[in-house]
Amino acid sequence: MPIDDHAGSAQKLASFLKMLISTGGLRLKFRITAGAGAADPDGLEAREIYIELSGPDVPLLTQRGGELLRALEHVAAKVIRLENEEHDKLSLDAGNFKALRAQEIRLAAETAAEKVRHNGQPFSFAPMSSRERRMLHLAFREYQDLETSSSGEGMRRFVVVYPKGKRPSALRDR
Amino acid sequence: MTLEQKQDNMQELVTEIARALVDAPDAVQVDAVERDESTVLRLRVAPTDVGKVIGKQGRTARSMRTILGAVSMKHHHRYTLDILEENNSHGQEHSE
Repeated sequence: MPIDDHAGSAQKLASFLKMLISTGGLRLKFRITAGAGAADPDGLEAREIYIELSGPDVPLLTQRGGELLRALEHVAAKVIRLENEEHDKLSLDAGNFKALRAQEIRLAAETAAEKVRHNGQPFSFAPMSSRERRMLHLAFREYQDLETSSSGEGMRRFVVVYPKGKRPSALRDR
Repeated sequence: MTLEQKQDNMQELVTEIARALVDAPDAVQVDAVERDESTVLRLRVAPTDVGKVIGKQGRTARSMRTILGAVSMKHHHRYTLDILEENNSHGQEHSE
């Protein structure tokens, strides 16, 4: 279900971020795009609202694998009452972090594909967030001879890639 | 900023984040408790809102702690967040 009130949600997010930035003393600015204009040109993110943060404190957001950016993204999604499975509809970005990360994920997919084709064995990626796992699944769409699925619980959930039709029996169906 | 001002500031930050997450913002209460090297911020919300500030698998609480950690660094003082469950005056801490 799409976000039904883009303008209202954008308004809520704007006042939330304004409060957070001024109370937290962060040197950041932000720009919110909602609706069709927010769509990811690469089609990797299913976003309906896109928030770009800029300013001297951007490194604070993107360091340690974007830990703070992800934390803000999660809390912001909760502020507009998105359920966990709807979180992809809101995306926070800073210093082109998402695009760079998407590129890293595509490269990792390429490397893994080569490996699996070469030795025929399943390859497990490191645990990732749901939106990064989604990017990974999408990246493998162009490899017709390979399949992917996810395994593990919560924070430790990860993607496995294997030759088509050779789903490892260790992967539980879910 | 004096330590006291910073503390008020952090208290306000946690209060406002929590108010944005819950259904009963008026029930949100944050106390600051000084420890040796750090300040503990104790968050109290309506019993029906506890799940909202903790989140599935503790993710919302963890995200709030990450935000607090980043602002702590700017303040050069450590702040930690405790989420108190109602009906327990001894304040059982939420841990992940």
